[in-house]
Amino acid sequence: MKHILFLILLGSLFSNVKAQNVDDIINAYYQTIGGSKWENVSGLRMNAKVEQGGMNIPVEVVMLKDGRMYTEITLMGNPMIMQAFDGTTVWTTNFMSMEAEKAPSDETENAKRAAKEFPNGLIGYKRLGYTPTLIGSETIEGTLCHKIKLEKKTMLVEGKEVPNVEYYYIDKENNVPILTETEIQFGEMKGKISQTKYSDYQEIEGVIIAYSNSSGIKDGMTQTIQFENIELNPKIEDSKFSFPNK
Amino acid sequence: MYNLFLCLSTIGMVALSWAQTSPLNAGDYFGDLKARHIGPALMSGRISDIELHPTNSNVVLIGAAGGGVWKSQDGGVRFTSIFDQYCQSIGCVTIDPSDPDNTYWVGTGEPWTRNSVSAGDGIYKTTDGGKNWTKMGLEKSDRIASIQVNPKNPNEVFVGVLGALWGPSDERGVFKSTDGGKTWNKLLFVNNTTGCSDLVMDPGNPSILYAAFWEFRRTAYGFNSGGLNSALYKSIDGGATWKKIEQGLPLGEKGRIAVAIAPSNSSIVYTVIEAKKKEEKGLYRSDDGGNTWKFLNGDFALTVRPFYFSRISIHPNDPNIIAKAGLFGSISRDGGKTFKNLGSMHSDIHDIVFDAAQPDKMFVATDGGLYRSLNGASSLEMIEDLPLSQFYHVSLDNRKPYYVYGGLQDNNSWFGPSASPGGVEARDWELVGQGDGFRVYPHPTHPNIVYSEMQGAEAIWRFDVEKQQLKTVKPYALEGAPKLRFNWNAPLTTSKHNPDRLYVGSQYVHVSNDRGDSWIQLSPDLTTNDKTKQNQEASGGLSADNSGAENHCTIFTIAESPITDEVIWVGTDDGNIQLTKDGGKTWENLVKNITGLPANTWCYHIEASVHGKEIAYAVFDGHTKNDYTPYIYKTTDYGKTWIAIATPEITSFVRNIQEDYVNKDLLFVGAENGLYISLNGGKSWSPFTNNFPRVAVHYLELHPTQHALVAATHGRGIIILDDIRPLRNINEGLLTKNLTFFETQAFTLSEKSNFGGTALNNQFVGDNPSGNAKISYFLPKRHTFGKMTGEITTLGGELVSKIEVGKNKGINTIEWGFNATAPKVAKGKGFAIAPPPYAPAGKYLVKITKGNEVFQHEIEVNYDSTSSFTMTDRLTQQAVTKEVFDMIQDLAYLVYQVDQWDEKALEFISKNSKPNKMVSGLTKDLTSLRNSLVVTTGDNYVGTAEDQLREKINEIYGTVSSYFGAPSSSELANIRALSNELNNAKKQFKVIQETRIKAFKSLLEKDTAIKMPEILSFEDFLKQ
Repeated sequence: MKHILFLILLGSLFSNVKAQNVDDIINAYYQTIGGSKWENVSGLRMNAKVEQGGMNIPVEVVMLKDGRMYTEITLMGNPMIMQAFDGTTVWTTNFMSMEAEKAPSDETENAKRAAKEFPNGLIGYKRLGYTPTLIGSETIEGTLCHKIKLEKKTMLVEGKEVPNVEYYYIDKENNVPILTETEIQFGEMKGKISQTKYSDYQEIEGVIIAYSNSSGIKDGMTQTIQFENIELNPKIEDSKFSFPNK
Repeated sequence: MYNLFLCLSTIGMVALSWAQTSPLNAGDYFGDLKARHIGPALMSGRISDIELHPTNSNVVLIGAAGGGVWKSQDGGVRFTSIFDQYCQSIGCVTIDPSDPDNTYWVGTGEPWTRNSVSAGDGIYKTTDGGKNWTKMGLEKSDRIASIQVNPKNPNEVFVGVLGALWGPSDERGVFKSTDGGKTWNKLLFVNNTTGCSDLVMDPGNPSILYAAFWEFRRTAYGFNSGGLNSALYKSIDGGATWKKIEQGLPLGEKGRIAVAIAPSNSSIVYTVIEAKKKEEKGLYRSDDGGNTWKFLNGDFALTVRPFYFSRISIHPNDPNIIAKAGLFGSISRDGGKTFKNLGSMHSDIHDIVFDAAQPDKMFVATDGGLYRSLNGASSLEMIEDLPLSQFYHVSLDNRKPYYVYGGLQDNNSWFGPSASPGGVEARDWELVGQGDGFRVYPHPTHPNIVYSEMQGAEAIWRFDVEKQQLKTVKPYALEGAPKLRFNWNAPLTTSKHNPDRLYVGSQYVHVSNDRGDSWIQLSPDLTTNDKTKQNQEASGGLSADNSGAENHCTIFTIAESPITDEVIWVGTDDGNIQLTKDGGKTWENLVKNITGLPANTWCYHIEASVHGKEIAYAVFDGHTKNDYTPYIYKTTDYGKTWIAIATPEITSFVRNIQEDYVNKDLLFVGAENGLYISLNGGKSWSPFTNNFPRVAVHYLELHPTQHALVAATHGRGIIILDDIRPLRNINEGLLTKNLTFFETQAFTLSEKSNFGGTALNNQFVGDNPSGNAKISYFLPKRHTFGKMTGEITTLGGELVSKIEVGKNKGINTIEWGFNATAPKVAKGKGFAIAPPPYAPAGKYLVKITKGNEVFQHEIEVNYDSTSSFTMTDRLTQQAVTKEVFDMIQDLAYLVYQVDQWDEKALEFISKNSKPNKMVSGLTKDLTSLRNSLVVTTGDNYVGTAEDQLREKINEIYGTVSSYFGAPSSSELANIRALSNELNNAKKQFKVIQETRIKAFKSLLEKDTAIKMPEILSFEDFLKQ
């Protein structure tokens, strides 16, 4: 009996080193962040004040389960949409004219393809028809992570279909992503790796969300957005997402 | 119950015991300590191979001699490094023709076998366009010349392995995989000194292959190309059998051979052969698939230095247009009968490629980077985005920012700043030497005077940069004395004790105390003086190559003790380590005291310690004897005894060691495969890979006052760790605390400003160091769950600024730009941004809140003592800035009140169908006032409205707050005028308040449908 107990304890001590397949890892991640409670989440409203050289810029990000989203900043007391997607059109505000303008059609098409990724493409990969592959282990910021390659549906870039791949680095100890990476597919930065780092995971109404996201080019500067408040299932007027009538 | 407790205790003790005995693995705690690259790219570096996508002209891959693999997706305008984590010495890059968007192969180990060449460690494959790589074996191949993938079967891969350069090896010849690289079969092997120098596949029939074999060997003191085993082979059965091709080709001893098949007609094959007879050296052509050959041409351009220039490239559509790598590169348009040189570019051409879709578009790989032509290589442009410079050495000066000095393989000697407006760009570098550059030093007290040298000390220069006066100052042999033997990379160094002193090493130590005008021979011959290693005239084999690159039995490193100039350490390339303790009167060879070091191993570097004149580190490099073992030794008794401090964690040979000047246990090693760091005096080592590729590090220098570790890499330019101070303080005690701040010295608030750089977007620009205050701390594990935020406060706790905090395991660094909080600006149309003012010099607290815990650390900020501003200037500027800052916020509050009352008045009007003259008058007055206070129409470009009070105040605020000197009288007058305007506006509002607003209030008190506006106090408004 003594030996059996010892083995059980020893097994639990080292359980995190045994081989896992990609579904185990994704499921552990899903359960860690709330599991089925996410089924009742129809959207998020996230508010932050981004520090920009000593200025506090209020930012509001809204993401809905149906793919609609907007990012709004407030400058000099004036709110303005940085980017929005109303399900049909991706649009932005031109900072010169302060008028709404439609994004290139490629961008809208890609937004439509990604519309069902809420809360992200890895969690819903089966429903979305994406393919995750466990590449192996990698140490990120001193933390041993599973590296998962997520192959999504192709994206449209300058009229051509190109692979759409995202890498997730999931902290082995905590079962949450601490880094995602994608290759930039267009413009002067084409070929560079875009990274987002996640921390400050906190619980809100049973689900766990990263309150701090730092984005930038690999080995370059980053910009952190630290959310002060996150609201589940926000009530948002449809018009907020819509491309304004001119 | 007892047993269960016992079990738990046992497990706990096992875990505790493991924790106590496990050494601190430094590599886990480097955190966000990250290197930055400053290139430069204006002279770029040697490129060994180019590969173009077969159908997409935008995709260009290059393999650099020492700088890894780079990919362009815009036809060569910009490049991205895609191989940083692996060996940076590249032999060839091959795109799988059946999956050209995704599958690439890289063979490591450069095949252009010059003396300074780096080694490879196998073959790699990516299946996602270079984002992820897998090593596919052939670890002992040392250098791979060619990879061919069957276009009809991507699992069938042929590899031409040149093999070891510096000794015998069995892993060479032609290898084949039939399972995509999982396993390999050696198909063709000649002997352990003969490797495959070229391998090509018939594009129409993958069963047909040609393989060139080359017998060669390099030593530290000679090179041999040629032997009876060099030959050209052909297989017509996918490599199962091979036939030596001899009909029509030179017989007997041969050297390096290259071979190419015309893509448009695979019966036409060209080969360039280094033959023994001069009249047989050159280009041969076969029109019948290699059965018969015709000698075409033995021009200099085709036969010069075959070991370095060998490749043949053939036009995709015209088999009579062929290009040959060479000193200048050449091209024939008559089937090889005649050649002309390619257009002007850097010399030493290693590869030439034609774009299949538009063959007049060509790329050329040189010792000085990549060139592109749109007219068949008649004229070429250099690609300016490839920082592949191959430094041999680096030194630093004491300017702020400090400058770096160094010499490059075939690319002269230079110095440039470690920081520059807009980043370190090509225009920042100054030329201070010709030829191959090596060691470059500034005069210790007059940085305008720079010493440099070229190969073999053919010249040593003293250059007055300011006066543009150049003098050759090399020492000469004394009358009747033996000729001086200088290494290719001859030691040249300055002194810590006499700023006008120079040391130079031949077989003797030479010293000058007058900046090189006169020299004293300070030592006897300190080398082994082995005559059998001094026959460089015979070097080269079938093609003489007496360039000086093989000079041997020379002094290679001279290290004067920083504590006393009586103590000088000297290392030689033939394995001696010599010491004088009496300023050169007597010398003792100490190498006999080192155990475990093979005889005659090259002493590459000696680091004379700052921690004791009896302490030194010696690094030996055996790679020229085919020995890749790292040899690092330390003595604490003037070399009587030595301890080995290299561990198996260092996986390649090493060239340099740098000790820290503060923590004697903190050591840095420059290895063939990157940078290693030890926190415990060499008991264990960790590779440093945070933005530091696995590139050969030839030299390291630590800035004594600016705490930067500067690496001279041989392929990726200058790479810098800006501040190594946090490494001095990592110890196991930090693991027990949730967060520990590292000590900080007072920060200097820079008072400089500029307009940035001039580089274009196709030019590499090196990153600048941050000018911010950098506060470092240690986390024993990454912060992932819970809130973690940071702020700067006064010592009294008043918020100055919020800051981003790092959450890495190990070292984290907060950056604070010395800014306070920006003023609150009035609401209006457009961007009327007012940046925060600088916080004044003084003491502050850095506060980090992690979960429920608060950690704080006091810092001090000083003004720049070198600035021209006086304290009175600064205090005046701060007072005026504060005055305008307050004006901005006063105006913001005024506009807020106007908006609140106007909004309420409009609500009243909208809810009352009966017009009210007083309320209408109120909105009219408020609108009129607002329009004079802020812009309310227009856009942010040419449709902008006329500036109003907000815009005018913001403008003068920006001018005053960003300049550290006292505001001018014009600025002060402008501020007075705007202040008066603001006061008048306040008075206007007061009048409105006392009249119409007062009446409106009375109206609202009677109207319960509309609530009285809740006007916040000024203080609450600011918090809002």
